[in-house]
Amino acid sequence: MPQDPQLRSHGHALRTPLLALGIGLAVLVLGLATAGYPPLPALAALWRGALGSPDAILSALLPRAIPLILIGLGIGLAFRAGAFNIGAEGQFYAGAIAATWVGLALGTWPRLVAVPTVLLAGFAAGLAWAAVPALLRVRFGVLEVISTLLLNFVAEALVSWMVLGPLQESKHTYPQSDPLPWAARLPQFPGSRLHLGLLVALCLALALWLFGRRTLAGFQLRAVGLSPAAARVMGGVRPERFFAAALLVSGAFAGLAGASEVSGTTFALFQNLSPGFGFTGIAVALLARLHPLGIVATGLLFAGLEAGAGAMQRDAGVPAVAVYVVEAVVILTIVLADPAARRAGAAATDPASR
Amino acid sequence: MMRLLATTICAALVLGSCTKDNQTSEFRVGLVTPGSIADAAWNSGAFAGLQQIRDSLGVAVSHVEARTPAEQEEALRTYAAQGYSLVFGHGFEFQGSAERVSQQFPATIFVVTSGERVARNVSPLIFRLHEASYLAGMVAGGMSRTGTIAFVGGIELPPIKLAEDAWVAGARRMNPAIVPRSTYLNTFDDVAAGREAALALLQAGADMFHHNADQAALGTFQAVKESPAAFIFGANLDQSSLAPERVLGSAVIDLPRAFLTVAREAKAGGFVPKVESFGLRSGVIRYDPNPALLATVPAPLQAAVSAARDSIIAADTGATAARPAQ
Repeated sequence: MPQDPQLRSHGHALRTPLLALGIGLAVLVLGLATAGYPPLPALAALWRGALGSPDAILSALLPRAIPLILIGLGIGLAFRAGAFNIGAEGQFYAGAIAATWVGLALGTWPRLVAVPTVLLAGFAAGLAWAAVPALLRVRFGVLEVISTLLLNFVAEALVSWMVLGPLQESKHTYPQSDPLPWAARLPQFPGSRLHLGLLVALCLALALWLFGRRTLAGFQLRAVGLSPAAARVMGGVRPERFFAAALLVSGAFAGLAGASEVSGTTFALFQNLSPGFGFTGIAVALLARLHPLGIVATGLLFAGLEAGAGAMQRDAGVPAVAVYVVEAVVILTIVLADPAARRAGAAATDPASR
Repeated sequence: MMRLLATTICAALVLGSCTKDNQTSEFRVGLVTPGSIADAAWNSGAFAGLQQIRDSLGVAVSHVEARTPAEQEEALRTYAAQGYSLVFGHGFEFQGSAERVSQQFPATIFVVTSGERVARNVSPLIFRLHEASYLAGMVAGGMSRTGTIAFVGGIELPPIKLAEDAWVAGARRMNPAIVPRSTYLNTFDDVAAGREAALALLQAGADMFHHNADQAALGTFQAVKESPAAFIFGANLDQSSLAPERVLGSAVIDLPRAFLTVAREAKAGGFVPKVESFGLRSGVIRYDPNPALLATVPAPLQAAVSAARDSIIAADTGATAARPAQ
């Protein structure tokens, strides 16, 4: 690992996330003490909920991390290419809808074929959902920051319509779909809620890392993100191609996350499937400085914080919002301390810079 | 740095697997709500029930809010894994996840409020709120000047449709010519939608309102309050305080009483999963008139309502009803 030039060059960059986390936890302790909750039992509960037992790790921490890592990886790739995809939430729902639809139709298929088909359906739907803003940007210059964000609302409305309309369960009573047949469900680790989606996420992280380090396209993509004009003039690259491709792939990853959530965790489509994965995924990617392997770590971190938030409420009576404050502080610290993140923010508001 | 991080994570995992969940044989009760307990309705009632269990039975209790299906299953599962004896999933949406979790944790009793069916150690808690909505409908039918009554529903779930039908049937009993109107909002929290629906129904001539739309109904109350001569009947909680001059009464679910009944049975041991169904007979479901406006309801109408209540209670053979709480 230390031989990794990318990591070494970003050597002290690891300090910023750790510092941010430290500040976040310090704010949490202060907040708890001010609000009259004894901080130690609360922190102990936070720990227990995230890592306190094999059960917490396998059934709370890891299942929560899967969608965050998948979405974070996609967003990381898009941000590297300078495509500010704020629409992962909508792409997640598009993937979930497609996966449910396909999954319900595949009851008689062998599991070995049905599960990959379901995941592919989610992947394709997320890609298609991101294709709209990609096209709008490349053809008409519509800022993807706005179009991806707005498409979130469309996707949420579409899910609501689906679970009350075409995909509503067969008794037409509740706003949810029928449960997926066994053949369409991702295998679970026995006696836990952990499913095979984790392996998919880890493989994709590795693949993206290799892509970024070992391929010309990976290098060109970064170049496009850093300066489209320079990449065009000096590198002979067509920036809009990379830009569009990165946006599409990030949508596909979010769609895959939606499929894996339906196929591995909830086994049915619901209106409130996501607690905001698409937005937390942005924080996950930024905190990792868009590094694919770092995103695995930050995905686990945010999943741990949120699993721990549940335990704090259960065991210490602390409202779950306390942990969202920590997350917010972490993100703010990163954005303030990290030049790359600041640049991302500046580029997002200044289209002329690319 | 990377190495340090890896070491920390490994250490955490090792430490983590050493510390055990504090499994005890003590009777503990957990509650998972699908929304905030500050909603002054469905969830706050459940939390009040949990506190009542703690105070009356002297047992340890715990609550957690879980908004998404994944979090809800995780929450049920975590309580079971920690050895909780009784776990309430507060809403129909917990049925599927409770059934999945129950396979692995047969020692925990899962109670699903407004659940669908009994499965292993999963027990549904059913509230026949429509029995109270029927009585509200009688008052509305007897009091309406325009001859038009209105119902504002959240999502058209079976218990809510039942309440609407009972409300209309009650009104028809007092005035066979009554014109019933209804709107379903497809949401339980959009206050603006609740208001819009009420304004449209007021336009259509309705002067008596009833709802089952939780938070969204706050907008309905607002619209009724602002119109010159309309009245409304609350649901789930005694909602007289929302518009003391315009709320004639409320169809009430006494959630604390229901929760306590179940917890007491479970604590006594030998709890057999069954459909726990509460109606007027149990005292958990009530029609509570607003005392401030009681004088405006003609005495014969009041007498008819209490006669109807008595006959509903008498007709309840107790086959599916719970015993009255002591």
